[in-house]
Amino acid sequence: MRGWRALILIALALAAWEITARSGLWSPILFPPLERIGHQLWLFISRPEGFVQTWTTLYRTFGGFAAGAIAGVILGMLMGRSAFVAALLDPLFSGTYAVPKLALFPIFIFLFGLGSLSKVALIFLECLYPMTIITYHGAQSVNRVLLWSAQNMGATRARTLARVVFPATLPYIFAALRVALPVALIVAIITEMISSVDGLGYVVTYALSSLRTDRMLAIVVVISFLGLALDRALVALRNRLVYWEKLDTYYV
Amino acid sequence: MRHTVARLGFWAAVLVAWQLLAMRGAPDYVLAPVDIVKHFVAALGTRELYADAWASLARALPGFAIGTLFGIALGLAAGIRRAFDELLSPLVFLTYPVPKIVMLPLFMLWFGIGDVSKVMIIALACFYPAFINAYYGARATPRILVWSARNMGADDEQIFRRVVLPGALPQIFAGMRVALALSFIVMFATEMINARSGLGHLIREAENSMRFDLMYVSLVTIAILGYAGDRLLRYTRRRTLPWEQSHA
Repeated sequence: MRGWRALILIALALAAWEITARSGLWSPILFPPLERIGHQLWLFISRPEGFVQTWTTLYRTFGGFAAGAIAGVILGMLMGRSAFVAALLDPLFSGTYAVPKLALFPIFIFLFGLGSLSKVALIFLECLYPMTIITYHGAQSVNRVLLWSAQNMGATRARTLARVVFPATLPYIFAALRVALPVALIVAIITEMISSVDGLGYVVTYALSSLRTDRMLAIVVVISFLGLALDRALVALRNRLVYWEKLDTYYV
Repeated sequence: MRHTVARLGFWAAVLVAWQLLAMRGAPDYVLAPVDIVKHFVAALGTRELYADAWASLARALPGFAIGTLFGIALGLAAGIRRAFDELLSPLVFLTYPVPKIVMLPLFMLWFGIGDVSKVMIIALACFYPAFINAYYGARATPRILVWSARNMGADDEQIFRRVVLPGALPQIFAGMRVALALSFIVMFATEMINARSGLGHLIREAENSMRFDLMYVSLVTIAILGYAGDRLLRYTRRRTLPWEQSHA
């Protein structure tokens, strides 16, 4: 087990938390004991209410993520394989890369309403950037010899795209998905914290407003677990689909 | 050359189409490009815009500095020393996909609703890309270079300063670029959730009072700041690493 030292660190942190909570120096609102957080976690998991809120957040996350991923892969492939499309779109993507798209949220609220659509639209936009940029980079760096061979053997343009360029770009696409998925979850939570009446982000702010820190921390645990589980699932899927390339670094 | 013309033509056409659409009676919240520029120039003459922009930068930049400093230092340490690697890396990679913004309410309780909690959450968000990139940058040092340096009598400190660090710098800059973009996003998010100043606060105020002109002014300002920060970082990178060709 390689991570045993890290486990010690986590155990130490939990023990320090518990000692702080029990010492009586701070109010239990600031540092609720672990047992109360665990109890709230159990309440959240065992009630249908918790599932409804989690589902709302996941539904927004996946909606925006899926749309952003599909559009991003298409745009990235087009940009990578056509200098003309790249010349048109590259200034947009590289110029507005560092601009927080979140600033568009108030305008999206007016455009798409207060419900899920404005949030999904923002998640779509935030996912579109890493998806397009990384796919573009991948489609650009396809081994030229492979392309020449395919042409030589009489493959049409569409066939080359489907059988050579797409598989060669797939590792990059998965790297992009892995960047975009946590972003989608983060944006879903942020938008729910800013303006919403449901979803996990709303529950967090609601718990804080009612000074139920134990409940808030329980939901923080749930959100952390969701982020982790989604990432693991994506890595598992990647290892099955892109079996020819080992994942040795975190990014590409 | 042909592409440059096509590019300029394309974006000019998009802007003209937007302008015409807005003039033909789009909803109030879709402003024409000309109007946006007009409102922005008008806002440049007021003191409030500078105060808000300054308040935002005073949160984003210290958070970015603290987060990347710790991230790079610990990432390099984990990249070259096994003990640090085993202690830190599993923890960092485990918590990496966790949305850090959910800690904001907790930080607000611990450090108050003022700037400290915001700077801390920005630093936390910036820590991760800085750590991960510095870590992989240091680990990707070719072994032969370390061996050669050792062979020629370099000690550990010299190897780190002359071999590992220059080799890791391109990755470190890549991490800083991600962290900078992130610091602006988190800054804006925290200001929209709760703040009394800053561009995020301005856009919420504008939204609540239906001042669409101010919404666009805040949007344009944050866009310019984000773009300028990114350019500055890329310029620094080019100056520091003249041997590296950026493909970003």
